[in-house]
Amino acid sequence: MKKTLFIVVAVFLLLVPAFDAFTGGQKDMTPGGKAAEEYTFYVVTHGGPADPWWGGVFNNGIKAAEKYYGVNIRWMGPEKYSVQKMVDMIETAIAAEPDGLVVTIPDTSALEKPLKRAMDQGIPVIAINVGDRETVGERIPYLCYVGGAEYQMGYQAGLRMLREFGSSKPKRGVVLIHEVGHIGLEQRAKGFTDAFSERGIPVEKLAGTPNASENYQALDAYMTRNADTDTVFTLGPLGAHPSLSLFKDKNLFGKVKIGTVDLSPTILEAIKAGQMVFGVDQQAYLQAFLPIGLLILYNDYGIVPTGNILTGPAIVDINNIAQVEEMINRGIR
Amino acid sequence: MNSSLKQCGARLIRFKEIGALAGLAIIMLIFTILSNKFFTWANLIGVFTITSELGIIAIGVCFLMISGEFDLSVGSVFAIAPMVGALLGQIGVPLFIAFLVGLMAAALIGFINGVLVCKTGIPSFIVTLGSMMFYRGVLLAVSGGFPITYIGDAPFLDALGGRTMGGMRSSGIWLIISTVIFSIILNRTKFGNHVYSVGGNPGTAKAVGINVKRVKIINFMICSVMAGLAGFTMFGRFYSIDPTAGQLLELEAIASAVIGGALLTGGYGSILGAFLGAFLIGVMRSGLILAGAPAYWYQAFIGVVLVISVIMNTRIRKAVVGE
Repeated sequence: MKKTLFIVVAVFLLLVPAFDAFTGGQKDMTPGGKAAEEYTFYVVTHGGPADPWWGGVFNNGIKAAEKYYGVNIRWMGPEKYSVQKMVDMIETAIAAEPDGLVVTIPDTSALEKPLKRAMDQGIPVIAINVGDRETVGERIPYLCYVGGAEYQMGYQAGLRMLREFGSSKPKRGVVLIHEVGHIGLEQRAKGFTDAFSERGIPVEKLAGTPNASENYQALDAYMTRNADTDTVFTLGPLGAHPSLSLFKDKNLFGKVKIGTVDLSPTILEAIKAGQMVFGVDQQAYLQAFLPIGLLILYNDYGIVPTGNILTGPAIVDINNIAQVEEMINRGIR
Repeated sequence: MNSSLKQCGARLIRFKEIGALAGLAIIMLIFTILSNKFFTWANLIGVFTITSELGIIAIGVCFLMISGEFDLSVGSVFAIAPMVGALLGQIGVPLFIAFLVGLMAAALIGFINGVLVCKTGIPSFIVTLGSMMFYRGVLLAVSGGFPITYIGDAPFLDALGGRTMGGMRSSGIWLIISTVIFSIILNRTKFGNHVYSVGGNPGTAKAVGINVKRVKIINFMICSVMAGLAGFTMFGRFYSIDPTAGQLLELEAIASAVIGGALLTGGYGSILGAFLGAFLIGVMRSGLILAGAPAYWYQAFIGVVLVISVIMNTRIRKAVVGE
């Protein structure tokens, strides 16, 4: 047993240089003249490495910011959507006394106190991706917000879908939500639903899961039951990819219109082929990259934008897909 | 001199919790070396907060595991009990009453779990797996996917999960109280004796005159009430419940109990051990973040720690009991 213990300790200590390699930077200077590698920023998001959006494009933005600015960035998020675990991570981040904190705000109530504590301790906070919807003065007093607007993404997507029908109206819509209870997805769903309901078009939420085959089955069953459905809206690749599979198998292209949130190479091909009407993007890369620069400037000079920086919704459809294509394949969008 | 050291070692090893304690000490030492921000008051308070919610559930789960049963629905009860409380609070019911009603709802869920297991003979693993899904579904349906919030100030909620002296959260105090109470029940009362025998050898327990079904049903109720209590401390911390709260918490609670020495087969375990196991998981999470580990590795490390601690505990137990 002593030997096992020794091996365990040795393995842990050997991992120290490995950890260092992940967090090291180059010898850059910030505009204010400080050594960049002395800055450490914590980015805590409600989505973690298991989510292709966060672990993919967003993480690419983080890595680029780290390389470009030469600062230390620690990004983390719970493996499975959990407000509680996210707040626990924020508490740890605050204890680490970083030079800045970048967070998403999936639940205003839950995040208010820890973020205020961080700000009282002098840690500047920038919100991204999901912010506090209250007005300045009533909302959590973070410095500024960089991101899309989840509800707007759904709503604008709804309007774009309606435009596709021209002067006629769709008969019925369905929104496939691939993780029920995930606040971002719920808000997108609500936006789309409102856009349709306002015009008296019936639309329902279909509960899916992060599992592709389950989503395929669920949508299949729904479309069979409600044969007049002519609009499908998915909220991310986890819903979009199996839906496209279903459309191909059941020969639904041309009869049913489908649009989604987010972009991916598969979605890209579908838009180009005229199978998918649009993908709505909120440019995760910007949400990762910009706040770091803002925090450096705030630390150096105390300057920060006075309004929100909106990175979405950006609707990508057959009209502008050509410009975006290369970026999707490179993991920038 | 040599023999008295050996004697001391032999006595130390007889503490059920020595495996968890040793593991905790080693890991805390490693993280202190890896980051100078680890062993700070601010961080340890944070760790203790993570520990409290998990620990309160782990105590209930451990208690039930010692009597030989599992409860996978604790994650859902963790969210449902405060949801009941929050909904009542929203319509104006005084929070203290809402709290009691929420706990009663939890107790009822535990009662149903226990009766189903005892009357049908279906393994508790399956019954509580079903109730986990059922109550999670109820929660999602009622909430519509959005968090349920309590608007306004509530000193009662602060008493459950807010900050007290030194920045520590009241949930920590609840955890300590629960650990003490349940340790005493388990080790110093007749009921505690019954719990051990029912888990260790239900046939013999019945022969000796213990009402095995009653003990188990009571333990299911205790387990659910603790999960509900933990949920309320989370509600006290955030003033809101999101419908995904508590997912996968049941596995972490079982892991805490097992790291603390509890046997999956029942009949052996320690409340203090469950406390230490939960603390260890809390330490792992924050320690890895402060040490700069990439986010992708947390679960992997917790898995490794779980297996190593079980191996350690088994070796220690064999050394003592001589199986």
